[in-house]
Amino acid sequence: MSLADHIRAESARLAALCTACGDCVSACPMTPYAPGVAEAGPAAVAAGLRDVLLAGPGTPAARAWIAACTRSGVCTPACREGIDPAFMLRLATWRAKGALGDGPLIAVKEDTQFSPKVKAFARVTLTEKEQREWL
Amino acid sequence: MAVGNPGPADSGLRAAPSGHRTAERAIFWYGCNMTRHGEVIRATSRLLEAVGVEAAPRGGPASCCGSPKDANARINEGMARRTIEAFNATGRGTVVTWCPSCHMNMQDSMAPVTPTNFETVHVTEVLHARREALRPLLKRPIPARVLLHAHLGFDGRVPVNDLVPDLLRLVPGLDLVEHRCRVPGHMCSSLAAVPGALADAQRATLAAMAETGADTLCTIFHSCHRECVALEQNHPVRVVNWVHLLAWSAGWEAEDGYKAMRNAADPRAALGEALVDAAGEVPFTRLVEPELRKPPAI
Repeated sequence: MSLADHIRAESARLAALCTACGDCVSACPMTPYAPGVAEAGPAAVAAGLRDVLLAGPGTPAARAWIAACTRSGVCTPACREGIDPAFMLRLATWRAKGALGDGPLIAVKEDTQFSPKVKAFARVTLTEKEQREWL
Repeated sequence: MAVGNPGPADSGLRAAPSGHRTAERAIFWYGCNMTRHGEVIRATSRLLEAVGVEAAPRGGPASCCGSPKDANARINEGMARRTIEAFNATGRGTVVTWCPSCHMNMQDSMAPVTPTNFETVHVTEVLHARREALRPLLKRPIPARVLLHAHLGFDGRVPVNDLVPDLLRLVPGLDLVEHRCRVPGHMCSSLAAVPGALADAQRATLAAMAETGADTLCTIFHSCHRECVALEQNHPVRVVNWVHLLAWSAGWEAEDGYKAMRNAADPRAALGEALVDAAGEVPFTRLVEPELRKPPAI
């Protein structure tokens, strides 16, 4: 199985179980940082999340909520269906960033210098022997 | 194991050892951004060794979980597969994680796609399960009134907000305060990507310190440490990592090298010519120095 297949399969499985009740949205501490979520209401935002999992565009509020997810994880114990909304958000983030080859639905902030920066810091803090053995 | 759920809580290195035996061999997967904190990698390896786990450190871009390439599943998968295959090839049956992102990605997306020959446990689970072996080592008092910097995230997967305080209670002289403050996210790096969220979390943390009379903020994860040490520039607090506290109590050398760089008036001068040369003049100027000179969030 590829990661893309895994994302598609898990997205479909969880979207089918989700009732879009909105309890996950209500529990989320990041909604103040997601424009439009308060106005749209929890159920509509959850429905938009479910649409993204099914390869749809979602709604502006749902996309804002996905973009603001910081993996607090409190949505999962809040779910009355017991279906792990935190993982749904993780899957939706992949999809919304365009991981499956579709156009991105949210801004993608990829640090193109990530690896060179990690290595540069390693040369400062690790001995040459540690760099050889640990990196 | 169900996707998105932690594994069994009583298996392998999560359990206390049943008796004296030879050191168990594992990989200490410290992640990518931990290369900023060499002394934490060293001290953590030494703590693991002290509880009977010989854990080979592995990290950096060659051992990546793939999350820096979340916008491309094909590349993400390739990076993750390379990491798992390298870990499988070592023959070691346990990967001890540090980074909560790496830990969750292993469970959620890496292992379900690429078969693993190892179980994944978090370093706090291992040390906590074997904490009685640490107790005799932690003799030096650390006089500090400490607030734990706790996030909401990851704690549902691995209860770090309980495990780390239990470890800190082994340190003589350390006064751990209780407060309900739990900031959003799983690490501060996630908050830093959302405008305003990191500053709000740091304000809440400082308010909790003031309310409890804490003089020391203890971070759990590296990215929190990276963001929080700069609080010392504008606020009368001390920021340390839990591994620093354990190491110091054991009498081990573990100077916080990142904090010294981050809070120096002139990071280049603080590092000195030899270390700037080691990083490389261009990488230092373009990649290292901008981070070290970034203004604190608050």
